[in-house]
Amino acid sequence: MIKTIYYRNFKTLRDTVLPLGRFTLLLGPNGSGKSTAMQAISMAGSSSNFFDIVSADLKKVDNVTVSIAIEWADDYRSLDGKRKIEADGLLARLPSPMTVNVESQWRHSGNTIIVETYQNASSLLQLPERDKIIRELSSFRIFSFDANAIAQPMTMNPGIQLESNGAGLAGVLENLRDNDPERFEFINKELGRWLPEFDRILFETPAAGQKGLLLRTKAGLRIKASDLSQGTLFALAFLTLANLPNPPAIVCFEEPDRGIHPRLLREISDAMYRLSYPEDYDDKRAPVQVIATTHSPYLLDLYRDHPEEVVIASKGQAGVKFERLTEQSDVSEILKGAPLGEVWYSGVLGGVPTEP
Amino acid sequence: MRLAVLSESSADEAAIRIIIDAIRGEATESVPSLDLRSRGWPSVERILPVVLKHLHYNTDAEGLAVVVDSDDSTIHQPDHEQSEIFLECRLCRLRNIVASVQAGLTPVVNRSPLKCGIGLAVPAIEAWYRCGVDPQINEAAWVRHLQSQSITYTRRSLKLAVYGTERPNIETATRFAIDSANRLSDNLQLLTRLFPNGFGALARDITDW
Repeated sequence: MIKTIYYRNFKTLRDTVLPLGRFTLLLGPNGSGKSTAMQAISMAGSSSNFFDIVSADLKKVDNVTVSIAIEWADDYRSLDGKRKIEADGLLARLPSPMTVNVESQWRHSGNTIIVETYQNASSLLQLPERDKIIRELSSFRIFSFDANAIAQPMTMNPGIQLESNGAGLAGVLENLRDNDPERFEFINKELGRWLPEFDRILFETPAAGQKGLLLRTKAGLRIKASDLSQGTLFALAFLTLANLPNPPAIVCFEEPDRGIHPRLLREISDAMYRLSYPEDYDDKRAPVQVIATTHSPYLLDLYRDHPEEVVIASKGQAGVKFERLTEQSDVSEILKGAPLGEVWYSGVLGGVPTEP
Repeated sequence: MRLAVLSESSADEAAIRIIIDAIRGEATESVPSLDLRSRGWPSVERILPVVLKHLHYNTDAEGLAVVVDSDDSTIHQPDHEQSEIFLECRLCRLRNIVASVQAGLTPVVNRSPLKCGIGLAVPAIEAWYRCGVDPQINEAAWVRHLQSQSITYTRRSLKLAVYGTERPNIETATRFAIDSANRLSDNLQLLTRLFPNGFGALARDITDW
């Protein structure tokens, strides 16, 4: 899992460190670099055009290097926290405190360089482990659901997966129905709990080779995906992603609260935790590292018992800064008796728009 | 009796209803089409006047139970009841709101005043769920914690002890809440003894209805 990311000269992230955990809730004002930080992860190791990613004021400066250094440590929080995790051996761990740094550098000259350094490495780091790190990093996906994309009938093809905007949901669900009926039935059951008016996911074939999605109401009505509300479609996409047998190893959710009723945010939070902590949900698959960005005080309220999972982005004269909530001084005293979301909105924790 | 419950989650509400039924010795009913929820302290303080007015004017609710977590706030003590409202005590503050709002309500024909019961879960409702399982968890211990003495548990460790995880989903939380409440229903005396002011206050309110 990614422990920290060091950004240098990457767009607005001139010299910034982002600390991450198994689950991280990232919040801050618009334009504070949250999305840029996520975009950078997806570009790690890629041969992107230097001029597309370098900080705007450095485009004409010679000898500038853009870099993203990812510090990697398998399930380091569990190792550091001495928390016993039992997941049937699914967690192949690196011995703490060994970490691996994977740094991507982009140069003015057009060179892209990948630098790997291994701290406290030993013969334990065999090629498969290295490949696993690269594989997991390259599986990173940013999800920002779009109701039209989810509702659109899709062309069936082998290897179908849930796209970043939610497209492909019908095919993914049908694959689950056919190949992992236990998970499919669980999703149906959860659907009825999250959205009590519905009791079943159904499918239609609007044209040859195409697949569409419907939901059946408890009264027996069949509602086409295109007639479902945006929030219903988003909730179904979350529910599906949280219950996939092989989700991406690292995911980001851009504003998972968007379109969701505030009372359903607990379920959205549960779904994200299910991805991050499958062992707590009796799910026998590897944990997913989840990063969620939000502007919602309601969603933030749900993390009052886990301030270490909250990272606040602030933009000032010195550039963008990411800070874990627990690193702020006297934060536990400040938060006593006050809802986290309201405290954040007040501005005392930072991460709010500043007056011009 | 038609009972409304104002709590932070559906899991808490499920447990509170079972415990109240056990205190009363008979099953209460929900108020139709009413699904109250608070967002925890201090929002419960702001929403309570509205809830009281709504129940009085628009429903046939006969009782309202409110349970809030004490977190790190002052624990209710018997001497609070002999004095003016104790500003640092959440239970006293909620009682004061109930008294002042109800005093200002216009009587409704054939409508008796709403009966209210207020409980303080010290420091969270999971502490009640551990009653009968871990004798070290009780109000007196938490008072020692508030006096900066070291004790064996925290809000987070309570969750871990009750649910087996610090991050229970709502379904798991509800299942454990119902199981715990059913178990506690057979041992209300112990719950009252270990949580005399937070749970005891609720039990006394309900018994007086």
